[in-house]
Amino acid sequence: MKRSISAEWLKLRHSRIGLVIAVLPIISLLIGCANYYFNQGALQNGWYSLWTQVSLFYGVFFLPILIAICCSYICRLEHLNRNWNMVMTSPVSVASVFLAKLIVVSILILFAQALFMGLYWLAGTLFSLPGPFPVETIGWTIRGWYACMSISALQLGLSLRIRSFATPIGISLCAVFIGLGMYIAKLGMFFPFSLLNIGMRVMSQDKLTDMQNFLFWMINLAFIIIFASMSIRRLKNNDIVSS
Amino acid sequence: MIKILGLEYFKIRRKKIWIMIILFLVVEMLWAFMSISRSIASNPDHAVWESIIFSISSMNGFFMPIISAVVVSRICDMEHKGTTWKMLVATNVGRGHLYAAKYICINSLLLYGIFVQALFIIVFGVIKDFPGTLPIDLLIRFIGGTLLTTLAVTALQQWISFAIKNQAFALCLGMLGGFIGMTAGLFPAAFRHIFIWSYYLDLSPVTYLYAANTYTVQPESFGIVLGALIMTVLFYIAGNIHVSRQEI
Repeated sequence: MKRSISAEWLKLRHSRIGLVIAVLPIISLLIGCANYYFNQGALQNGWYSLWTQVSLFYGVFFLPILIAICCSYICRLEHLNRNWNMVMTSPVSVASVFLAKLIVVSILILFAQALFMGLYWLAGTLFSLPGPFPVETIGWTIRGWYACMSISALQLGLSLRIRSFATPIGISLCAVFIGLGMYIAKLGMFFPFSLLNIGMRVMSQDKLTDMQNFLFWMINLAFIIIFASMSIRRLKNNDIVSS
Repeated sequence: MIKILGLEYFKIRRKKIWIMIILFLVVEMLWAFMSISRSIASNPDHAVWESIIFSISSMNGFFMPIISAVVVSRICDMEHKGTTWKMLVATNVGRGHLYAAKYICINSLLLYGIFVQALFIIVFGVIKDFPGTLPIDLLIRFIGGTLLTTLAVTALQQWISFAIKNQAFALCLGMLGGFIGMTAGLFPAAFRHIFIWSYYLDLSPVTYLYAANTYTVQPESFGIVLGALIMTVLFYIAGNIHVSRQEI
């Protein structure tokens, strides 16, 4: 397993994927901060108001698409030059291939979340916002990252199956809107893309009840297990398409 | 040229790109349908043709850059994946013609998407029984404005998709475009006119007056149309020159 993960890292070397991952939180934060700066009269809740502005577009729209880009990228090499044949004949299980990819995507997203959090703290400090830094936002970011793992498991399954780089990203764009609709319809717990909204407290900063919190962690875990096992099963049983 | 264009369509015959565009648009339309229905329920004055045209235009700021990026990436990436670009340029056809054929093919697909949007606007208006006759002039301006902006966006995307093999960058640009297109309304006009993605809203025939809580017809701005045209030509020529001279 460790060797599979290091192989995935090796494949990402010189890819400049870090640049793609860094650009998005930076742009989201800059636009969120500009919006906060121009509407300070209406946004009176200090750190929390800044959070609503910076996390809205990032958490709802762009983080899921960033996950889709990472998943497509991490499967791109396999779809090129008949590399699937090589991967499937290597002395590692398909489960470890899939899980290594999932772990690497999760680490990349963790990096994006950490960068986002650091920039949020920096922006709040530069705005001289009153009160201490809200520690719960760290919890929201971690919960958001956990929800990202179930989206990653789903997107990885799609990217492994669909040879096109862009199609899974387009699917994630549609899923974002379905997730938003389900969140508004209060069915957010049943769709991975809405779970990200719930986890990051993008639209509502109210505290989750213990039951909601428990459901959030359990349903996400269930999604990760379901999507991962479906993809692993498919890799084991179905013939791969290689060209 | 017609032959090269025909071959472009031949290459994508099994890619089902037109179905993919429809699926993306269905999500956009459903979202627009829900938001306008809610808006009409809370304010019956919003039951006008202008409301749906404005809603689709503003949502296009987010959707169209990403849809364009996906379509362009799929059509250009097949040459990277199959290493067929080298083979194509070795044939007795100019690189400029190959580049132009791809550009026309991509934009014809997206134009078809824009027509689907126009059709949706008509169907939605008829279902909701909007007052007055069908605003043909507004619809033509909507189609023209959206197409003009898309022409510039696809010129930029085609440049990036061809110049950089790693499609993550092209998709990332599409995503940033969507982000700027969606938030364009928040920024001063002088600032947002720098970014082509904000033109989906600027070239919309309808605008929303937040103070008066009403929709109004936006006068045509020659400057914005000219700006979009200049950007289209610039991105296309720069992309064409760069890709044609690039070593494969």
